[in-house]
Amino acid sequence: MTVDPFVLEILRHRLDSINDDAATILMQVSGSQIAVEANDLNTVIMAPDGRVLACGRYVLVQVASMHLFVKHLLDDYTDNPGISPDDQFMTNDPYIGTLHQPDVVVVAPVFVGDRLIAWCGSAIHESDVGGPTPGGMSYDAASIFDEAIPMAPSKIVEGGRLRRDVEREYLVRSRTPELNRLDLAGQIAANRMTVGALRGLVDRYGVETVTETIELLLGAAESEFRDRLRSLPDGRFRHTAYVEYRPKTLAPDAREQIYAVRLTCEKRGDRLVLDFSESDPQAPGAINATYPALTNFSMAAVMLYLAGGLAWVPGGIWPALEIRSRPGTVVHATWPAGVAMSTAATCQAIRICVNACASRMLDGADDELRALAMASCQAAGGGGGIVSGTDGAGRPFATMTLDELTGGGGARSFADGANSSGYTTSPGAASANVEVNESYLPLLYLRRIELVDSGGPGRYRGGVGSEHVLRAHGTTHPVSVLSFGQGLQHPAAIGVAGGEPGAASGFALLSAEETDDLVGVDPNLGARHRPTVRLVPMPTAGMAFSGDERMLAVAQGGGGYGDPLLRAPHAVLDDVLDGLVSMARARSDYGVVLRAAESGELTVDRAATEVERLDQRRDRLGGDPSRPVSSAGPGPADARAPVAGTRLGASMRVHDGDVCCGECSGPLAAIGTDLHAALHRGEHPVDRRAVHGLTYPGAEQFVLRHFWCPHCGTQLDVQIGRVGEPAVRTVEPLS
Amino acid sequence: MLEILPRLAPASPVRPEWGWTAPTDIRRAASHAQESTGLDIVGSFWPVTGLIIGVDTGGTFTDTVVTGSEGTIAIGKVLSTPARPEQGVLDSLRAAARAAARAATTPAATTPAATTLGATTLGATAEHGHLEGLLARTSVLAHGTTVGLNALLTRNVARVGLITTAGFESTLAIAKANKILGLDERARRTPTMWDKPESLVGRRHVVGVHERIDASGAVIVPLDDDDVLAAVGLLVDGGVESIAVCLLWSIANAAHERRVGEVIARAHPHVRVALSSALAPRLGEYERMSTTVLDAAIGPLVASYLGRLETLLRNHGFTGSLLVARMDGSVQPAALLRHAPVYTLQSGPVAGVAAARMLGSVLGHRDVITADVGGTSFDVGLVVAGEVQYLSRPMIDRRPLALPVVDVTSIGTGGGSVAWIDERLRSLRVGPQSAGADPGPACYGRGGMRPTVTDAAAVLGYVDRLSGGLVLDADAARKAIETAIAVPLDMSVEQAADGILLVACEQMKDLVRRATVQRGHDPRTFALYVYGGAGPQYVGRFTDDLGVAEVVVPALASQFSAYGAAASELRIAVSHDVPPAPVVDRVERLAELSVELEATARAQLAEAFSVLPPGAGEHVDVVRSVGLRYYRQVNLIEVPVPDGVVDRSSVNGLVDAFRRRYEQVVGAGTSNDETPVELVRVSVSVSFPAPQVRPSRPLGSAARTGIGATATASRRAWFDGGWVDCSVHRWDDLGVGQAITGPAFIESDETAIVVYPGLVATIDAGGHARLARTGRFSRTARTGETEGASR
Repeated sequence: MTVDPFVLEILRHRLDSINDDAATILMQVSGSQIAVEANDLNTVIMAPDGRVLACGRYVLVQVASMHLFVKHLLDDYTDNPGISPDDQFMTNDPYIGTLHQPDVVVVAPVFVGDRLIAWCGSAIHESDVGGPTPGGMSYDAASIFDEAIPMAPSKIVEGGRLRRDVEREYLVRSRTPELNRLDLAGQIAANRMTVGALRGLVDRYGVETVTETIELLLGAAESEFRDRLRSLPDGRFRHTAYVEYRPKTLAPDAREQIYAVRLTCEKRGDRLVLDFSESDPQAPGAINATYPALTNFSMAAVMLYLAGGLAWVPGGIWPALEIRSRPGTVVHATWPAGVAMSTAATCQAIRICVNACASRMLDGADDELRALAMASCQAAGGGGGIVSGTDGAGRPFATMTLDELTGGGGARSFADGANSSGYTTSPGAASANVEVNESYLPLLYLRRIELVDSGGPGRYRGGVGSEHVLRAHGTTHPVSVLSFGQGLQHPAAIGVAGGEPGAASGFALLSAEETDDLVGVDPNLGARHRPTVRLVPMPTAGMAFSGDERMLAVAQGGGGYGDPLLRAPHAVLDDVLDGLVSMARARSDYGVVLRAAESGELTVDRAATEVERLDQRRDRLGGDPSRPVSSAGPGPADARAPVAGTRLGASMRVHDGDVCCGECSGPLAAIGTDLHAALHRGEHPVDRRAVHGLTYPGAEQFVLRHFWCPHCGTQLDVQIGRVGEPAVRTVEPLS
Repeated sequence: MLEILPRLAPASPVRPEWGWTAPTDIRRAASHAQESTGLDIVGSFWPVTGLIIGVDTGGTFTDTVVTGSEGTIAIGKVLSTPARPEQGVLDSLRAAARAAARAATTPAATTPAATTLGATTLGATAEHGHLEGLLARTSVLAHGTTVGLNALLTRNVARVGLITTAGFESTLAIAKANKILGLDERARRTPTMWDKPESLVGRRHVVGVHERIDASGAVIVPLDDDDVLAAVGLLVDGGVESIAVCLLWSIANAAHERRVGEVIARAHPHVRVALSSALAPRLGEYERMSTTVLDAAIGPLVASYLGRLETLLRNHGFTGSLLVARMDGSVQPAALLRHAPVYTLQSGPVAGVAAARMLGSVLGHRDVITADVGGTSFDVGLVVAGEVQYLSRPMIDRRPLALPVVDVTSIGTGGGSVAWIDERLRSLRVGPQSAGADPGPACYGRGGMRPTVTDAAAVLGYVDRLSGGLVLDADAARKAIETAIAVPLDMSVEQAADGILLVACEQMKDLVRRATVQRGHDPRTFALYVYGGAGPQYVGRFTDDLGVAEVVVPALASQFSAYGAAASELRIAVSHDVPPAPVVDRVERLAELSVELEATARAQLAEAFSVLPPGAGEHVDVVRSVGLRYYRQVNLIEVPVPDGVVDRSSVNGLVDAFRRRYEQVVGAGTSNDETPVELVRVSVSVSFPAPQVRPSRPLGSAARTGIGATATASRRAWFDGGWVDCSVHRWDDLGVGQAITGPAFIESDETAIVVYPGLVATIDAGGHARLARTGRFSRTARTGETEGASR
């Protein structure tokens, strides 16, 4: 049979509405700040085998691969304890189907009679699920046995009835059982509603129609995604991203540990392969990602960075996508590796790898698709963390400040990144008001401000991040803080198409005087030169501040798009006037010279800018460009006569079997040869992108690599690499 | 058009005395009176002797409803004049005055009923100078305006400066990192479209002042006048016309904000100032700041508009009170609203819900779902237990508002929504694109080529002209649907048109379901009021399996917002947030704040009364409530505070009431005794019952006799898979109790009810159409027959 074109649309609309309603019910029952404000949750409706059909608009990475959990239940639980109508199953086991232990998943089969027609489910982040440390994360974990022990998949609702024994088994672990109980009640209520609503659709339209609609929608999503792939250039794209890690087992004088996540992304026709198998071996705890975390983040990143504008139906994308990994690596850890901090660590590196490769692929496509390319948003930042301790009234507290959610967005091929807008992977997440945090926590914020110069320079600038300074207030006890601590040693939010990475994260406990010295400048003036480099320790377990001490936390900026020397000078002037870029950086990062008129008004000094930009190109090449291009002209660089050839990127074309510079037409390399080897290269220490000059031990292991056109000096690629490792061949066109 | 009604029935025993009565008693009395007499007798509690007029400026039309003590006298509908909205108001009033004058001179006016107050007197005055005659007889003119909203949406706003606590200058720019809130569905799936709403204050116009107050209200860093002067100087030199002031923790201690206000007033008296602590004393600096900035941005324009309008009305002989509709569903004197114009940002949809509340009190419906179908949107609101509902996190133009805003949810499905085919699925989609007003649907004949929902209705014969007299081009509609839908899907044009309505109405149904079920209500206990220009066309379709108790198309369906403005209560509501703490530890603070807030509210009410007719508001209704929530939860629940002194035992009662309510809202078994219950908000509202103007149609002669008029015409329309000859009735000619069985049409100048097969529409005493289900429809049976006027 075929489904009537009207009924098909009605059912499509209803399925999305039902799934959205489920999230609303979950938020309503939960009532927690994490659920209602940070929206750290999501809901799904799945096919009978678990393929995700309707994916909520909240945190994609929590649910994009929920089929793994359903598959596990179908494989292992069908006979014992059995899967029956009105049952529900829960787990927070990252080795089965969640990102890390704090994410609790509850799924329910949808039966019509004894026929299984669908599944529904949700995931939500809990403030505490037990384990040695409040909030459930610790750098010191050597294995999962030092973290919250996950709850194996359990039948929490049996035949419609909540199993009190299972509920207690779950709640007994938590330091916040009341919150967990409400969240669990919300997840169960949401599933009940969805199951009832789906049965209602079956009553009205018939089981065959509903079942067939589910397949039709999955099929349409697959064909849509395959069409998207076909319209993108074939190629091999590579990226390496790094995870910083300082375990307890590390000797005080040992080198800081760094783990590489390596992706080779190959796109041919309508197939996409994400090969992570060259990633480093797993770490001895906390930062690793399990296979479910890898697939959740990879799938969500594919939806976000490659499938923009399409229906986000993971179950339809899977058939066109293959993820390769090696067990025992940091992206595919084997039991009992510690994994509680995966989302802030390795998962972000996974996301950045897919983000970078997808954007390079899109950057070589037509105008419409190119508009979907974006540089990396903030990666998990040192700006984030969990504070805990005892308040003035003697009550214990442990919570995330949510300050980290205000990092910068990645620049786009047509616009700057969204300033202080947070992760792309958590679109609906909101940071907390100062007044709300101060209501519940013995803290006083001294500063929360968008951070000048933190956006990655580029023709389009990365969104600026933000800076938070706070101290203990109303308590004599020290306030403990666990920083998520990534992106401190190196700037992790990469740029694309020659854009620079956003500024690194920052995290430090400092005296009042030190803090004033670092941040006590009027950001509106922005006239300060690069501060002297100050070495501060990497965050460790057991850090605390009290009295007049300050905690300084910076959520990093987003990456830039395109060569910053091609940025329109008036845009740089606007940024300076808005306090987003300093005068000094306007010159050093963008080659734009500003001058104060007699009235005091700032203007662009066009002639000086032209000279400065040419000087910078000379510096890049160590001499005069053989094919100089003007870049201080009145309009955007696009206004110049187009360069021949097919587009390979913002400033690269393919012409007659050669890759050419898109700015000066100069030939770069023959297709099939190593493009990067043919480019002019400059290496710089990563503290160039440090905030307030804050530098961490381990930073010396990283290097910022710039690649320029040898003819005109246009910046074509920027990489963050490990000292001693070869550059990555980021773009390799396949003909 | 003339209101012809039996004289007011003699006071029944249950009829409330003239004067103050508790709202619940009023409603009980009203519904009882109706049951016992068959008339909707509601006493006005205003000492109003003249007319009450509602005027609503909408996107397309400016509507006027003129009511006297015994019901609707006249209506006016003209095109809005966005450039000078006051002109549209005047035009609309003029149209209503003309209609009233015409009605007063028709033969029907010579019937005994015409001697009731209003008609004859108005008729007499209307002889010389219609508008002036009308306005001279008017005691209250209540107005809903879109001036503020249009200013915001077109960015025609004042140049705003913002003063905040130094170190927190980015609060508005950070916007709690919101990048997708308020984006449409496609943008939500396109990450490169994620961005924050463009700020109304440039980063260059935000200045920090050195000061800090903590959560307890203690001054950590004192404020320095010179610092403030310097900050203000920077802003004024930068050309700022309006300054918003929002400092951290001004809800705990407003001294610094007030001081900043004083310094500005002294140094720059011409600059408008909005203080967050005065305007929106809510916890959470971002939402408070956003609200204050919105107020500063639209303030000068709205204040000047209200001033101009008032002058214009006075020049035309208006001596009554000018009230303005607010987005909390109340009205306030224009003079008061000039201090807080942000409250006028939403009027039309909110006034519709306020109207439903009032009509519900007349018809005896305490729980009402409102459904307003317009050209570009479908709005759903709720009245629960006789009260309008408020949004928990209101937002306008993607900006949060820390103010009470009546809960109205919208989707972009309306008459103008475009139908198209999803090629991949071969399914039919409707919207979200809209053909708008120009070129509009294909049947408008203005060059629109894409088929819309209105085109489908035109093809099926459901509608042949629009209010304002535009005759629809059904052939153009057919052609558009044939090309874009019917041929590709290989079906007849009628089938395709039917499918378009089906899909569109399912979307509407979905929204109604979500607005009720998602909020924990059971639609079966609700009456559904359907209004808006297009609502009555689709009512039979999107209500079929909702399971609501009753469906009503109000008499003033296409002027419902104007009626709502006239029917809203005059209310002063003040509320204040406190730093969250267990309510049992805050008994004294709560008692103190309740007293303070009541005094503030009464003082403002007195100010409001000063422009009202003498004698108004001798008896006011005082409602106190607290906003409570569980420790660290986000969802706030309002719990009423009983009369009398607030003490420990009454606070314990509040906690119990909170827990009970929490179980109702969130679900059985979800509350617990261990988690502390926090006090977050204290609210007091003083009001007196709204002018209980009865919405009704100016009924035809049939109303008196109870004998229904027969159909005036017949029209072919497509129902249930075939063409049927359907009777067409003039709404105004139908008698009380007359029942029209579908398929049939009930038409007026402004709107048309499509009575679907299987439905029967019965006209009640107010001229409202009540829809109910009958047996199965058979196309072979005779249809459109009058089933008699008796009930």
